[in-house]
Amino acid sequence: MSFSWRSALRGFTLAGMLLAVEPAHAEYLRIQLRVYGLDCELCARGVSASVERLNGVKSVEVSLKKGILDITLTPGNTFKMSDLRKRIRENGFRSMEATVTALGKFDGSKFEVLGSGESFEVSNPESKGPPPVEFTFEIH
Amino acid sequence: MCSHRRLWKFLLCALCLSAAPAWADGHGPAFGYSTTLLGVGDSSIETSFMWRSGVAMFSPVVSYGWRENLQISISSPFNLNQNEHPVGRFTATMPGTPEVEGLLAWRFLHRSTGVASRNEATLYFGGSASTQLLPRADGPALQREPAIYAAAAAGHISRKYYVWAGAGYQHNGRWSSGDQDHQSDSMLSSLVFGWRPPFLDMDYPKPDLRFFWETTGDWIGHASRGPIVGTGPFCDPHSGCTTPPPPTSTGVTVLPNSGGTAVYTGPSFLCTYRSMAFQTGVQYGVWDHRNGVQPPERFRVVVGFSYFFLGGRRK
Repeated sequence: MSFSWRSALRGFTLAGMLLAVEPAHAEYLRIQLRVYGLDCELCARGVSASVERLNGVKSVEVSLKKGILDITLTPGNTFKMSDLRKRIRENGFRSMEATVTALGKFDGSKFEVLGSGESFEVSNPESKGPPPVEFTFEIH
Repeated sequence: MCSHRRLWKFLLCALCLSAAPAWADGHGPAFGYSTTLLGVGDSSIETSFMWRSGVAMFSPVVSYGWRENLQISISSPFNLNQNEHPVGRFTATMPGTPEVEGLLAWRFLHRSTGVASRNEATLYFGGSASTQLLPRADGPALQREPAIYAAAAAGHISRKYYVWAGAGYQHNGRWSSGDQDHQSDSMLSSLVFGWRPPFLDMDYPKPDLRFFWETTGDWIGHASRGPIVGTGPFCDPHSGCTTPPPPTSTGVTVLPNSGGTAVYTGPSFLCTYRSMAFQTGVQYGVWDHRNGVQPPERFRVVVGFSYFFLGGRRK
């Protein structure tokens, strides 16, 4: 087996390219989601355990009386709101309005959550400096 | 006030933790039909102990949330002691006789109408095969048979009240044309009211307690026996000697001491905490008309313990 400078250079280049590509991170920070249909402790436990298994979820607190899931996320997560809603549906419940805090940028009346590919129509767009900005908004 | 609250908490926790291995429907009523299903990827192991007319039954049930509105279950109740007792179906999700049953539950209607409130309707389809021969006072035991089962349940669920109504029918078949024995077909209907008293309306993750009042009505058809060698009297230690009724033109004998109709009612209790559920219930016969001579049945008892594997599939 002979050493080839050309092969070595090609290998280094490929490795460099791979290291330079960072995975796209979503920056959801906190989500308070109202859920309809949650009636019992076991239901709440099932939903909580199911949501905790989503990537990027740090903690989930459930209030049965208010029907609220309070989700805290780790920085640099790959979380998607659509995955959360799917999980709720798979547990037999209905996800409703949510209060979301996330990092992202404004695009007209829309707020695009960083790295998630998800954007939401917001009623109070306000830009505070260059993106990304931390913003709390309602989803209905 | 504070000490009362502590005493309540202690009693509730002690009740939950003292759960003897036994069963019911996991997170619904003990005897009647309900609509609740597991989430996708969740599973449960339920064990139950049932007592009726001097016969003790034990039933393990394994369930799995297959799809958003589909759940599959396998149960295999068996008699702990052999004794003659009315044969039929007495609980919604478990055969009343020793059988292996596969059950598919399809929640075809599902509407969440508010915080902690929803309306649901579920269909059940099952197939089973009997595993134990049951002794009879009027002759030898009937052959083991396969059976099919279909049921429907609908109800309203809320934080304070639960209401479920349901009905199902089990039809017994034959493994081969040569086997002419026929176990009783049976129909079960139920009406369940559930209540969570305000002082037990605690938020997650506290123990969750609910009370139910369950009324079930069962209709059980006649069993029949294929031709047997010898037509002399059959002697049994309980009922003495009986002469078999005359067979029909095909040689099949309809057994007069089989089947009947009955209505049972009574309270049940469910406690869930963490991933466990403990349930117990008793039903008293308010109307019991069994055909011919059959062992009396005044009450039914179910005690159950379930463990749930929650969290679904990892994403």
